[in-house]
Amino acid sequence: MCPGCGHDQISNVIIQAAWENGLPPEGIAKMSGIGCSSKTPAYFLGKSHGFNTVHGRMPSVTTGANMVNKDLTFIAVSGDGDTASIGMGQFVHAIRRNLNMVYIIENNGVYGLTKGQYSATVEKGSKKKKGAVNTQNPIDLCAMALNLGCSFVARSFSGSKKQLTALLRAAISHKGMAVIDVISPCVTFANNDESYRSYNYVKENDEVLHIVDYISHYSPIEEVDIPEGQFKEIELFDGSKIILETIGSNHDTTDVVSALTAVHEAERNDKHVTGLLYYNGEIPTTTETLGLTNAPLCSLNEEEGRPSEESLIEVNQRFRSS
Amino acid sequence: MDSNVNNFVINIATANGTGSQSSNLVILHTMFEMGIPVSGKNLFPSNISGLPTWFIIRASEAGYQAPGDKTDIQIVMNKDTWEKDITNLESGTIIIFNEDAKLPVDRDDCFAFGMPMTKMARKINPKMAKLMANMYYVGGLAHILGIDSNDILKAVKSQFKGKEKAIEMNMQAINEGIAYASENWDIKSDFKAESRPKDSDTFLIEGNEATALGTIYGGINMLSWYPITPSSSVAEGIIKWLPELRTAKDGGTTCAVIQAEDELAAAGMVLGAGWAGGRGMTCTSGPGISLMSEFIGLSYFAEVPGVIWDVNRVGPSTGLPTRTQQGDLSMLYEASHGDTQHIVLIPGNVDECFEFGWKAFDLAERYQTMVFGFSDLDLGMNRWPTKGFKYPESEMDRGKLIRNQQELDAVPNYGRYRDVDGDGIPYRTLPGSGIDPILYRGTGHDEDGVYSEDPIVYQKTMKRLKKKIDGARDNLPSPILREEENKELGIIFYGSMENSITEIDDILESKGFSVSTCRIRALPYHSELESFISRHDISVVLEMNRDGQLYGILRKELPTQLLKKLHSVAYSDGMPPRARLYSEKIISVLEELK
Ligand SMILES: Cc1ncc(C[n+]2csc(CCOP(=O)(O)OP(=O)(O)O)c2C)c(N)n1
Ligand code: SF4
Ligand SMILES: [Mg+2]
Repeated sequence: MCPGCGHDQISNVIIQAAWENGLPPEGIAKMSGIGCSSKTPAYFLGKSHGFNTVHGRMPSVTTGANMVNKDLTFIAVSGDGDTASIGMGQFVHAIRRNLNMVYIIENNGVYGLTKGQYSATVEKGSKKKKGAVNTQNPIDLCAMALNLGCSFVARSFSGSKKQLTALLRAAISHKGMAVIDVISPCVTFANNDESYRSYNYVKENDEVLHIVDYISHYSPIEEVDIPEGQFKEIELFDGSKIILETIGSNHDTTDVVSALTAVHEAERNDKHVTGLLYYNGEIPTTTETLGLTNAPLCSLNEEEGRPSEESLIEVNQRFRSS
Repeated sequence: MDSNVNNFVINIATANGTGSQSSNLVILHTMFEMGIPVSGKNLFPSNISGLPTWFIIRASEAGYQAPGDKTDIQIVMNKDTWEKDITNLESGTIIIFNEDAKLPVDRDDCFAFGMPMTKMARKINPKMAKLMANMYYVGGLAHILGIDSNDILKAVKSQFKGKEKAIEMNMQAINEGIAYASENWDIKSDFKAESRPKDSDTFLIEGNEATALGTIYGGINMLSWYPITPSSSVAEGIIKWLPELRTAKDGGTTCAVIQAEDELAAAGMVLGAGWAGGRGMTCTSGPGISLMSEFIGLSYFAEVPGVIWDVNRVGPSTGLPTRTQQGDLSMLYEASHGDTQHIVLIPGNVDECFEFGWKAFDLAERYQTMVFGFSDLDLGMNRWPTKGFKYPESEMDRGKLIRNQQELDAVPNYGRYRDVDGDGIPYRTLPGSGIDPILYRGTGHDEDGVYSEDPIVYQKTMKRLKKKIDGARDNLPSPILREEENKELGIIFYGSMENSITEIDDILESKGFSVSTCRIRALPYHSELESFISRHDISVVLEMNRDGQLYGILRKELPTQLLKKLHSVAYSDGMPPRARLYSEKIISVLEELK
């Protein structure tokens, strides 16, 4: 990684969040596609298995792994190129299925690994240090996830360690697809001040929706800043809680329309809105919808995984008499 | 000359979507239940309704299953192909036609018999006249061949399972057809269908359903698929049988089924399942394999088990989607960029579709790589006889899988990609186990799985992979050999060519050639193949494609001194191999050699 790369900051938050949530490393599976962002699983949670797959196709590999071992906690890292271009189809369909995973997009507006071409999330009119101006409309991955009915959608910034940690901890506790679009500056190719994803620009134009805190289910007296003003509590699947302290307008995380409004208004004003945009804990996950047996399928023995010899005799017989 | 009892070819020309498939299957099953060696081939178009469809039924006392070279009885129902269907017939052919088509049958040299099929059907049920009309040719045919209506009843019952009204109406149509023919047709044909003692064990099944059952008995845990002819019925077969065969005690299923967004995703899911310790599979056809290629390479290089079942249709591109070919073989064997090599299992009958269906998972886990099943439209979508499927003879082989610390300690100098045993196959641990976690990757890696671009490390890895897959040869299904004493001519073939080979062999013998045959059932090829070629003066590789794909693979891999004995006969026009045509191709190659 280049020194100062936003992706490194996110790796540190992942380590922190996994540790704070008390996750045993063997229970985690690290998934990624291809890109600078997707290389980062080599640098965090070394005691967990991981799969650095192919460009844009991490969601399908995660799907297969999730089907045969639903007890794993999938923490996936992707880039904006990996997700919004080559992997768009798989991203969309993983959301549709409400795959039980954390999907982190390390969004820098460029293809870092192939040396700085524009990605599909970059703002119209963006200009890199060198080269042409981007003339196409950006794809907002949060707006897209919201439109697709994603059960957990958040946006954050690699430099907002506290906010990102809380969001990530909540995403890990969430049962279902949790998308966190993290603005993550590429210091080498897109950190010029006018770039919307440079450190300086984000610092100036971050519209924080609320202050996010996370309280895990096992230690309710964890150190949390008790909000002074208005706040909301969301209880997650595992009993842990998200606390959202209102600042300015009162964002309703259960309302997809206000979430979309927040995203589009920020975009109109050339700002980034950060925080928990939407949450719905009631949507069944893929494995629930499919009605899988309770034990992870990879743990089934001969008897559980292969029908009996008698059953085959019966099958043959049925064909003969039909 | 063969007798015409139980030796004839019926060609039924209809339009897709007119319900003729039910009538055709009634004829096929009736004759099958009468104990007559019979085979049926459905030549259907790639659309849902309207385009021409032909169903070829061949009865052959010798058990020949190829489509046959000429038609003895032609049934014409389709106005669009009417003229062509009739013009192409040899003189003396019996023609049964629907008079209500109001089209001419100008063949004085043939025996043409009409019946007002649509009119008669309208009397039974005006709304369903178009569908029911097809049952009248069943009746006409029964009259000509001397089939008793009671023999048909059983097939009708099984076709319209439990639907009493449908059974009754269809039988009425068939009986009216028989009555009409006996009153109005003045026919003296010696084509006869005669009952034979039937082996009560034998039944007919499509290759794809056999594959589906095989995978279920192979412990499949995850099926991902994207619909494509001619492979969809593999997935549909699995979906059909899962509730009965794979429901756990708690009522949940032990196999997840996902209809993927495309074949890229389907292949990715297979890798994910294999990586996490499950048995994942997808089924597809050529276009899907093309899309899956990148993942296939990842499976090979990162050594992740998985199964892809390819049911070949005619390529290149969208090609002839509903016709058959052996055109994917070289793609499967070396799919994906860089140097790769994959295990390919090639069933030649429905029993092997079942067997390789379960075996593919064992091999995938044993060799930690992608294993292909390679079937084709003819084998997959037509019905073939079996005496019943055999239960796997051994427990599931999970390969070199380390499940706990004790097992890990038993492996000296463990590294995910270290060849501890000298067979090229490393040991692996699973996510969730906490044992020796690594980050799997498609980039270069050393014996411990750590990123590496070191030339020596890379070269060593590639060499080991070669050794691993090469080492699989003699653990794969061995060739089926049938050899003559004098070792003059050997025919090497594979897959659904099996259905034509006996007849090809007989034709060649009748022309004075003495023929041995060798049916390859897997790649990389078994060492027995080399001895077969050594033993014979000349060997011909016979296949259903343009370029001789197996021949090409063999040329690359066989010892040089054997190459001069090896010749290619490759031909493909989308049709299942007609024995006479392929025999002639072989003869002309042999003549060139003289
Ligand atoms: C099939 C394929 N096409 C192209 C590439 C080359 N490639 C590698 S990374 C990348 C873009 C990565 O961009 P992004 O996902 O935004 O990650 P970043 O490096 O910015 O973190 C591309 C195009 C590839 N590896 N595979
Ligand atoms: S090129 Fe950009 S994205 Fe890649 S490591 Fe460097 S700073 Fe990070
Ligand atoms: Mg990027």
